[in-house]
Amino acid sequence: MNHLSRFAIPLIVTLLAPAVLAEVEQQPRAPGIETKGYVWNKPDEEKARALKHKADPLKGKAAYKGCQGCHKPDASGRPDDDYPQLAGQHASVLIKQMVDVRAGRRDNPKMHPFVGDWVVSAEDVADIAVYLNSLPTPTNNGKGDGKNLALGKKLYEKDCVGCHGDNGEGDEGKFYPMVTGQHYRYLLRESRQIRDGVRRNAYPKMVTVIKKYSDADLEAVSDYMSRLLPAKAAAK
Amino acid sequence: MNPYLKLLGIGLLATFHSAVGIAQSSGDPAKGKEIVAKTCVACHGVDGNGPVPNFPKLAGTDAGYLLKQLREFKNKRRTSEVMEPIAGALSADEMADAAAFFASQKPAPGTVKDPSLLDAGKKLWTDGNPTSGVPACAGCHGDRGQGDERYPRLAGQYSEYTQDQLGQFKSGKRKNDKRQMQAVADRMSEQEIKAVAEYIANLP
Repeated sequence: MNHLSRFAIPLIVTLLAPAVLAEVEQQPRAPGIETKGYVWNKPDEEKARALKHKADPLKGKAAYKGCQGCHKPDASGRPDDDYPQLAGQHASVLIKQMVDVRAGRRDNPKMHPFVGDWVVSAEDVADIAVYLNSLPTPTNNGKGDGKNLALGKKLYEKDCVGCHGDNGEGDEGKFYPMVTGQHYRYLLRESRQIRDGVRRNAYPKMVTVIKKYSDADLEAVSDYMSRLLPAKAAAK
Repeated sequence: MNPYLKLLGIGLLATFHSAVGIAQSSGDPAKGKEIVAKTCVACHGVDGNGPVPNFPKLAGTDAGYLLKQLREFKNKRRTSEVMEPIAGALSADEMADAAAFFASQKPAPGTVKDPSLLDAGKKLWTDGNPTSGVPACAGCHGDRGQGDERYPRLAGQYSEYTQDQLGQFKSGKRKNDKRQMQAVADRMSEQEIKAVAEYIANLP
């Protein structure tokens, strides 16, 4: 073997290797809460397209097939892990979160390959959101250990109820999520990430409010939220 | 050329193309049977249940899915040294006919080689691996692996073929599915690939 090929072959291999590895799409990274001048829920062309779209739940049901391997056919997610419950969630919230994952404002490399713009369009996102909103919210979601519910109630009523509502119903018009029916583990993980600045598409006012929360506070309030019942069921 | 005439021409052409596109997706299984007997039989068998585990069983697979694969072998979006010249020699109608014939055939049951892997395979099939982010296969391919136009039938498939395709997704050789299976296979261990391939072979 001559000198040239002794060097050329490893060089070619080195040059080719990243190209092959790069085949799996990486989630982009867009500026979020860590950036000066961050505006929560800033208007965005793709989100506007999705929100404007006259969504079709039947098309959404077909497109959701690509999601149910993780979120389950009834969209109830996993109480034992970190896949959230989605059934009955506000369409606006689902659209915002999916658009934020696509744009890289919410870091979720696990989900990104299945919701990227080469897989679903902005209109598909809206169809999926409307379909999920039409599904009944289960009440057998994962709960906490139930040991600190009095503290959880106190914190929720002081700091959370103003946005997330008496029954955890959130607000479709304001993009505030429904927390009713959500798994304890997911609520805890997300509230920690919001407190710690890791969830980069968070609402800054919420970060300020829960900044002083200890882990035990977050556990208590997450447990309390996981036991909230949809307004209709609560009235019974 | 008058730009309006040119635009009109493009419009007409587009209309014509989409009309042909619709016609192509509903093939004639009787004509397809002859094409299969002439062109596909050696590897895929007379009825899409070929005897060789390197070549996939096609019987009962959705015609729309098969047609898409044939088109993509022809235009090299899906690469296969074997299939490229074969699909390349078929007309659009012939592809649709062959796809319709295979779709109409009864799938033969698969064979399990290592039953000790079935439990692990079942777990992946029904529940995925949330730690690594592998979705449940059943989510897209259906509880029984029956598949549809977008996600192929897998039930009863040769475990050799399933493993080969998962390997191709993993390495990036195959990516004609909006790269979703690439993300999935990339997160699977060799052991998980073996186990799920056995479970798939066992699905009736």
